[in-house]
Amino acid sequence: MSFETINVRDLDGMEPSECDALPFGVVGFKADTVVETYNATEARQSGLDPATVIGVPFFDIIAQCMNNFMVAQRFEDEPELDDIVPYVLTLRMRPTKVRLRLLATPEIARRYLLIER
Amino acid sequence: MADGSSEEQLLEFLYACPVGLIECDTSGAIAVMNPHAMQHLMPLAGSRDVCNLFSALEQHAPELRSMVASFTARTGRICDGHRIFVELGPGRGDKVPKVLACSLVRIGPDRLIATLTDVSQQVFQERRLREVDTWFSTLLDGVNGYAPLTIAFDGAIASATPCFTRLTGYDHIDVTGHNLADILTTDAPSGELRLDEQLVIAARDGWHLQEGWQKRADGDLYWCQRLVVVSEGGGAPGGRFSVVLRDVPQRDAAATDLHRLLSCDHLTGASNRRHFGQTMAREHVHWRELRQPLSLVVLDLDHFKAVNDSYGHPIGDTLLCRITEVCTALMPPGGIFARLGGEEFGVLLPRYDHAQAVELAERLRCAIAALVVGTPHGMLQVTASFGCATMDETGSVDGLVALADERLYAAKSGGRNRVCMSSHAVAPAG
Repeated sequence: MSFETINVRDLDGMEPSECDALPFGVVGFKADTVVETYNATEARQSGLDPATVIGVPFFDIIAQCMNNFMVAQRFEDEPELDDIVPYVLTLRMRPTKVRLRLLATPEIARRYLLIER
Repeated sequence: MADGSSEEQLLEFLYACPVGLIECDTSGAIAVMNPHAMQHLMPLAGSRDVCNLFSALEQHAPELRSMVASFTARTGRICDGHRIFVELGPGRGDKVPKVLACSLVRIGPDRLIATLTDVSQQVFQERRLREVDTWFSTLLDGVNGYAPLTIAFDGAIASATPCFTRLTGYDHIDVTGHNLADILTTDAPSGELRLDEQLVIAARDGWHLQEGWQKRADGDLYWCQRLVVVSEGGGAPGGRFSVVLRDVPQRDAAATDLHRLLSCDHLTGASNRRHFGQTMAREHVHWRELRQPLSLVVLDLDHFKAVNDSYGHPIGDTLLCRITEVCTALMPPGGIFARLGGEEFGVLLPRYDHAQAVELAERLRCAIAALVVGTPHGMLQVTASFGCATMDETGSVDGLVALADERLYAAKSGGRNRVCMSSHAVAPAG
């Protein structure tokens, strides 16, 4: 299951250890953007402990860089969402070119953001 | 506390900080930045390099580059809360237009620290306060420079006092029965409303305040606030208006200088985005309420990046200044020539219909193409592409800007050095 092929159902059914083993960052959050999944790959990329990220509104506190119409607003506006966008994140405060995959579907409450460096 | 956790604490602090923090070198290349800074830069950068502060803001604050270049001290504050007007229109829906404040500090020969903050809400409140303040100061300030009078619905003076004679130089008894519009200066060089236009708005809203230069009988100029309030008849034909003319003396050299600083582009002296946006919003109101035509021309220099690359930024800057000189000289009364981004300019033309705007765009195109700038590497000439649109085609500021941009793009793809005036390709003759 690669960055480009994995889907919301795969991610939602995964054990935490499986999710941690994926080679790209995975962030899962509810409609209110509160983080429920923050895999080990993403924790290494950002330098943040998943324990401090889980339970926090993602776009307000952790990922303000995506809190605009290009990412956060799309999760608000598009109930069915599967798109890959090139982006620049500020992982550990260094501008870092990444690819983001935005995933959401009405049947599953949790939405996912995949981050590939 | 262990090192690991304190580093993580520092990261958490920077991730969550609600102000954009950036460190870059004097060419703008970003070394360190926090997520809040990226939140603002990413959408503004478009296809330009978001990892360079000046490139990312080239379209909205091209002046930052030259402000840094002209700052000679080794360290110190280059600007404090410098405002970047992201949106030119009145904002989308009920949202206020976005404005960012940027502070820049030089901390070493090649190190800059920048902050970016969203101040849209503050700017919006300031504007409201300023309107209220102007309104109250008109009512409360000293009465010496006042001339209250009453006019009929069509503008004919019903009664005036000796104050009118003192203020305007015209005898208050002689003017009774004459139309106030004939006594006031009628040419409106900065796009101010004529009296009849002002009366239309006052009849609807109950009052209207207008500012502008006025001429006394002896030719002397003064800055005049003109307040019109419905006094009888509820703004219907047959009713009357109370008018207060007020000589505002504080419009002195310092204020004029401040106005220039706030409304002009740092490098070229053309109007800046902020002034352009504010004027466009005001003129949009005039268009909506008075059906006064309003046109917009946007122009972008052709292959300007190649000029900067082969001749260097200083020559590129000289060229921008010369183009501003040439184009400003061709502006009609009330027209505004503004620098909107790096090599993109906008021309706002109140009271100009589409055909007039296209004709002016063609003259600007010829003037730019005829311009020759001497450089150490020989003579330099450029051309520009133009997009023209008029408010009647769209009805909104955002729509007008989008339409002119679309046509500018069409002029570029059609071969550059041309004016595109319509969205439909012209069918070949025959």
